[in-house]
Amino acid sequence: MTMLLLANIKKELLLLSRDRLSLLVLFVMPMVLVLILSLIQDDLFRATGGAPTTALFVNLDTGESGLELRNSLQANGALQLVEELGGEFANEVSARKAVFDGDYQFAIIVPATFTTAITQAAKASVQAALRQQESSPSSSQIAIVFDPAVRGVYRSAVINALRLGVTRLELARKSAVFEQLLPEELQRSMAAQLGSVVPMSMLPQVPQLSFEWVGEPIITLDEELAAPEKYATLPTSVQQNVPAWTLFGMFFIVIPLAGTLIRERQEGTLTRLMTMPVSSSSLLLGKISAHLLICMIQFGLMLMVGKCILPLFGTPVLELGSSPLVLLLVAFSAALAACGYGILIGVVARSYDQAAIFGSVSIVVAAALGGVMVPIYVMPRFMQSLSIISPLGWGLDAFLDIFVRHGNLVTVFPRIAALVGFFLLCMLVAMVIFQRWRRGN
Amino acid sequence: MTDIILATENLVKSYAGSDRPAINGLSLQVDRGQIFGLLGPNGAGKTTTISILCTLLQPSSGSATILGHDVVRQATEVRRNIGLVPQDIALYGSLTARENLRYFARIYKISAKLIEERINECLQLAELQDCADRRVSTYSGGMKRRANLAAGILHQPEILFLDEPTVGIDAQSRNLILERLVELNHQGVTLIYTTHYMEEAQQICDQVAIVDGGQMIACGHPTQLVNDSPGCGNLEGLFLQLTGKQLRDRVE
Repeated sequence: MTMLLLANIKKELLLLSRDRLSLLVLFVMPMVLVLILSLIQDDLFRATGGAPTTALFVNLDTGESGLELRNSLQANGALQLVEELGGEFANEVSARKAVFDGDYQFAIIVPATFTTAITQAAKASVQAALRQQESSPSSSQIAIVFDPAVRGVYRSAVINALRLGVTRLELARKSAVFEQLLPEELQRSMAAQLGSVVPMSMLPQVPQLSFEWVGEPIITLDEELAAPEKYATLPTSVQQNVPAWTLFGMFFIVIPLAGTLIRERQEGTLTRLMTMPVSSSSLLLGKISAHLLICMIQFGLMLMVGKCILPLFGTPVLELGSSPLVLLLVAFSAALAACGYGILIGVVARSYDQAAIFGSVSIVVAAALGGVMVPIYVMPRFMQSLSIISPLGWGLDAFLDIFVRHGNLVTVFPRIAALVGFFLLCMLVAMVIFQRWRRGN
Repeated sequence: MTDIILATENLVKSYAGSDRPAINGLSLQVDRGQIFGLLGPNGAGKTTTISILCTLLQPSSGSATILGHDVVRQATEVRRNIGLVPQDIALYGSLTARENLRYFARIYKISAKLIEERINECLQLAELQDCADRRVSTYSGGMKRRANLAAGILHQPEILFLDEPTVGIDAQSRNLILERLVELNHQGVTLIYTTHYMEEAQQICDQVAIVDGGQMIACGHPTQLVNDSPGCGNLEGLFLQLTGKQLRDRVE
């Protein structure tokens, strides 16, 4: 039995090692995909993961308000401000060019007269309010330059962060003016109303008011996720992309695996094998074992890319979580599911082309549904509910559970069971079809 | 007393969706040590018969035994004693001839000590020893057919099924294969042989059965059959007389 198994594994590995296209698809494609997509999506994941968005900040203001605005924005944490370009402070022209060239997605330009303008506007506004007069203070404009390719959600995020900073500044300026003008206005009002009956020296002194408390928050926001166990911690681009494209690559084993079955059928080697004193199940076991081995090698190589190669390009190092054995078990289950699907396609398809086209298209669809290309948590709710039908989605969810949410065997067991169940179902259907074919039906 | 190595009794095979059976009540007997030719036009049921005898297909009714073992109920016993040289080149093109033979030898559970010796014998028989380490996909048609034969006799079967083993190859390879088949027969291997080349059958077969429409229409020694049919100069003439001259094109 062992000799038979080894003979089959050796033959399958020999066949695969001489199929350069399959080797490219199985090893090079997923590695290239994970490298490119992790790097491309790194900024996106940082943004959606709550990391600050980078923006150019050009402070032309000669007063202190521009600095205050900058400090306020940085303290807010939503924006990471960059003030220098090529070692020099950015000016309006260079900032606009940097955004136009795509080097930055946003630039915030504070005008030179910012402090003067908001001080005057605050004074006019408060004075008018105290005297119950109409007020139309001239506003100061801060320019926000956007890259046209930036999506609305990021524009809104930047504008909201800036609006918050500006509101704080306005409030501070108005409070300061109010603090200064209120006693004067009260004094003036009392004098006007009581001056004819009470001597000016007898009028009470209005106490000096402080408005520092205006900036102190009295309402706090408590952020709470509706499904805390699901998306409590979002993955980095590496944590998302490495398992995602590993699964994608593993499932592409379907094409060479189905291909060997179809070739054996078409070229007559299956006929020869079936006249030999060996059971179909031991032949299949050899085939599956060899391809499982390939999948696990793929998995190891992809982890190595995430651990050693991607960080060289500035991405976070792949964190594997605390359950390496469970991680291996998930990978093995996913590999089993992929092999089962490959056997099924190999039995059902009538030609290699049919298997290659149907196999690859179905894997791409399952990958899209399973969150390989776009994370499930950013999908519309309807698509999120569809993702549960994808074996790649089960595998990816289990990997993310271990990587991001410190999952263990108990938490990932349902997904492991689903993957193994998928393998068994595929094998069952394949065996039924194969036996029907063998009986000459 | 003759030793019957293969027998079929009222063998019937119907395929789903087909309006008539591929084999319809075929009864055969083959003696040990014979070269038995199974002849017939396209669609006559030759390949289906061989497929049933090789345990690839199950008959719809009737029975078939090889060395006393039922081909359905004792398939594993049957498989230990038979070899097949299929119509297709049933070898892995991206493996060398030696790698192919090594793999099949392991499947036949030939002892590790004997594997290389046996592979070399088969390669020598097929005259492929000089190119045994080249991939089969680079071989000519004749070389592939010879390698196909080598794979079929690797485990020294008692009965060897050959489904058109010389189709579409050069005269030299064809001649070599026929010579080797006779040699194997002299060593005691029973050969069940299908071919469309009537002169081949007349040249090497001890007995031929002509089948058409899934039924046997003639059986006997080729020379005897020709002699018993006035106006037929050779087996081909007899074959055309029995099966007609209309074309038997087959659409798969």
